[in-house]
Amino acid sequence: MRAGLSQIALAERSDKDRVQIGRYEAGTVAPSLDTLGDLVRACGFDLSLELVPVDEASVSALAELQQISPERRVDRLLDRLAPDGGS
Amino acid sequence: MPRQPERFDPRAILGALERNHVDYVLIGGLAQVIRGADITTTSVDICPSFGPGNLERLAATGAELGATTSDGGAVELTDATIGAEPVVSLTTAVGALRIIGSPAGAPKGFVDLRRGASKEHLGHGVQPQVASVGDLARLASALRRPHDVERLAQLRRIIELDADREPRPVGSTEPARKPSRSASRSARRLTR
Repeated sequence: MRAGLSQIALAERSDKDRVQIGRYEAGTVAPSLDTLGDLVRACGFDLSLELVPVDEASVSALAELQQISPERRVDRLLDRLAPDGGS
Repeated sequence: MPRQPERFDPRAILGALERNHVDYVLIGGLAQVIRGADITTTSVDICPSFGPGNLERLAATGAELGATTSDGGAVELTDATIGAEPVVSLTTAVGALRIIGSPAGAPKGFVDLRRGASKEHLGHGVQPQVASVGDLARLASALRRPHDVERLAQLRRIIELDADREPRPVGSTEPARKPSRSASRSARRLTR
């Protein structure tokens, strides 16, 4: 999308099958990492992969938030915004 | 002089939108909070329908809330004013109301977002249509501001957690199931 290429143009540039690119775009099939790299390069970009540590505290906080209702999530936000709130 | 809200009361703003029968999808930070993001926000961001009469109902909501522009001016909500500005920011006594007709990442705006949106009960009879977590991630990905990048990571994690929470068959001994196809699709689309 950012490269402004149609599926046909991307297929020609990357030497991949247009139908398969359509499947990738629809999300019905996932490309391999090598294929993804080829497609990204054909779009004029490079794919940078970086190992970073998992933020366990953040993951845990998000998991806890998934256990409460949307109503309580809003209440929690308002508690945090209150003058004597958490943050 | 810009008016400062006395307190942020999103339910008051959303309630006024409902009383005036405004068609919209809630997006932005408040929608992210409702979907489970661990962030703070002090504005209600909406993507309104441009359907017949809706902007008039939105203008009536602004009047009910005593909304002004951020510099204290009078509010004018029409196709032209909303179309001309990426974000129309209104100030009310209960917080900011930001109107975004065509958010980055959803060029058709309301039409794009309403498909994945769902009605969420927020108490006090307030039930806004809230953009899906996948759509919120797409919007954050398109904006690419520093805080959007941080929020995008949270939204991706929420998509994964949602997929993991899907019920397993009774008696299953599988420790965890793979993300559903729709969840995987949502996560993959974020990169596009």
